Amino acid sequence: MKGIFPERFQTDAHNSNLYHYLIAVFIIALTTFLCSPLSNQQSYHIVSFILLFVVALLAVFMGIGPVLLASTFSAIVWNYFFIPPYHTFSIEKTEDKFMFGSFFIIALLNGVLTNRIRRQEMLVREREDQTKALFQLTGELSKARGIDNVLELAKPIFRKHFNTELFFILQDGNNKISDSGRFVDKHNPSNLDLNIVQWVFNSSKKAGKYTDSNSEAALTYYPLTGTRLNPGVVAFDVDISVYGNKEAFWRTYFTQISNALEREFLGEMALRAGILDESDKLYKTLFNLISHEFRIPIATIMGASDTLLTSQTSERNKEELYNEIFKASARLNHLIENLLNMSRLESGKISLHPDWCDINDLINKVYKNLKQELDQYNFIIIIPDELPLVKLDFGLMEQALYNILLNSCQYSPVGSEIRFEASYREGDLLLQISDNGPGFPEQALPKVFNKFFRVEDSKAGGLGLGLSIVKGIVESHKGMTTVENLDSRGAKFSIIIPSEVPDINELKLE
Amino acid sequence: MTENENILIIDDEIQIRRLLEITLTAYNFNTCFAANGKEGLISAATHNPSLILLDLGLPDIDGHVLLLKLREWFTKSIIVLSVRNSEEDIIKALDNGANDYLTKPFRSGELVARIRASIRLNQEKKNDPLLEFGQLSIDMINHIVRKEGEIIKLTSTEFTLLALLAMNHGRVLTHQFILKEVWGYGYREQTQYLRVFIAQLRKKIENNPSIPVLLLTESGIGYRFGD
Repeated sequence: MKGIFPERFQTDAHNSNLYHYLIAVFIIALTTFLCSPLSNQQSYHIVSFILLFVVALLAVFMGIGPVLLASTFSAIVWNYFFIPPYHTFSIEKTEDKFMFGSFFIIALLNGVLTNRIRRQEMLVREREDQTKALFQLTGELSKARGIDNVLELAKPIFRKHFNTELFFILQDGNNKISDSGRFVDKHNPSNLDLNIVQWVFNSSKKAGKYTDSNSEAALTYYPLTGTRLNPGVVAFDVDISVYGNKEAFWRTYFTQISNALEREFLGEMALRAGILDESDKLYKTLFNLISHEFRIPIATIMGASDTLLTSQTSERNKEELYNEIFKASARLNHLIENLLNMSRLESGKISLHPDWCDINDLINKVYKNLKQELDQYNFIIIIPDELPLVKLDFGLMEQALYNILLNSCQYSPVGSEIRFEASYREGDLLLQISDNGPGFPEQALPKVFNKFFRVEDSKAGGLGLGLSIVKGIVESHKGMTTVENLDSRGAKFSIIIPSEVPDINELKLE
Repeated sequence: MTENENILIIDDEIQIRRLLEITLTAYNFNTCFAANGKEGLISAATHNPSLILLDLGLPDIDGHVLLLKLREWFTKSIIVLSVRNSEEDIIKALDNGANDYLTKPFRSGELVARIRASIRLNQEKKNDPLLEFGQLSIDMINHIVRKEGEIIKLTSTEFTLLALLAMNHGRVLTHQFILKEVWGYGYREQTQYLRVFIAQLRKKIENNPSIPVLLLTESGIGYRFGD
């Protein structure tokens, strides 16, 4: 029986062996009893129709066995109780003998045919279910992101249709099956045989239980094959080949999973290749920059202090050398600060401490730290009186504004205008810094905030970290940084940060 | 104030110790040293310095712990001098009893100014009835503030805030500390009031409120009354 019936009805079939036989007999007996008033010469034919009807009804609800029993049993009781002479199995009239014969055959046919129709209908419904499941799987797999997601989507379908768990053993991303990599499903059972997995993966042939090779194994192993790479192997404990009517289903199912996994693998490999390439490039840039950027101030410090130590120099020269040493060390300190901040931002180690800030206070503080540079420019601050307090990390935003303003100072002609403007509209704080420098080359604009990006032939030194730190800080405030060239001349940086405004109780302001 | 004050430097870096020795001697301070926490505790007890410069990254004891131990009995000034520049470290050190905090690298001029301010603050009588800073005078008894001789009208909260900062002039006071002292314990997180009042006070007492010289902001930490 198993294998012919979908498992949903197999449970039926099993129970029918005992339960349904008894019910069939009981119903026929009950019908016989109810029909006993009709036990006379005129109406015993009617009883045969009633019994045929009951058998047909039973065929709708029960398997073939009980129906056969019911038809046989009903023929016997009809003969015994209703066909004269009563309470014997003998039949008097020839027509009654003929009638009994046809009753028996009709009852059998009736039962068998009804049962077959029912099975057909079940099969159709089952196929419909499978098609629907496959459709659904196709849809979901096309949206799946990541290997784990594919597995999550695929597993329940197998469980539902084959009543057992499906296990995945996937390759490690280098076309190898390794026994400890992350591609081995952590839910995999202990009776998994990795040697068979390896063989199935390499040969792309099924093996294990219910197959020709290694049939003594605890599980069946099927390869998942793709067009460009094989994602891995599946293992399960069910004889899938006996699900004859489901063959198309499980083949399509495995193909779909293979395709989805293949897609994810290829995507992941491409990404890894990209990241490696990127980090290699970053490493080289960083190395070049650091060796250059650090050496210059160090050379200055060493050279200047050496001169001061060994040679006789005039007081004026001495002072200049001291000054150079101080400037060089300040530059080194700035480089280190930037590198540290960048790595803190990237590692997520910077924790934001948002607090109510007065933007006046913030820009004053930045101005104080950059006074020497900014005083050479026409630095204009425009902050409306009604600007509310905003919630920011004061220290980090101070650093961000410092970096932008320092950038403006480095590139703008001395004496030109540098403008800082703040405004607040509909929950967003807008800070804008514009200068009259050369602006950015059009093709450089999208890269301005990239790490280690420097405009070619730019005059000022630096690691190209300042503006990427700005971006990092603003993003940690869930804000956005943009840059544009002004029509006239110069660049304009805009920072938008969403911020609530404080609830200030006027009474407390007394 | 007589210089020749004795300063104890607790720092494990020999280069920093050398630098501090040369710098502070040049400004007429006497110096003594300790290269770790244990030595530092002993030196603080035996030399009785007017001020301790404390590094947080010591080989044997965590600087914050050492600071607490020193503060069990040492009542004079302690300035923390550290490479740790996170707001958490600074606030923690100030809460643990440091009078001031300076991050390395520092400018020697700045360091000396802070040292002088701390030592002076420790020697001043706490209840001086009249505080004077340039053109500004604060009459602590009659609650009268004058700028260039003219009386400035302040609300009582404004006066309390100004008085608190002025009494601790030269020293950083954390937001939490100020809020607790002026508004009360329940207002420790309500920094918006502090911001509003500082802005109001600056308008009243600073010559140029946008470039304050008296009410100075310490980013993310608190305020300092400059002098």
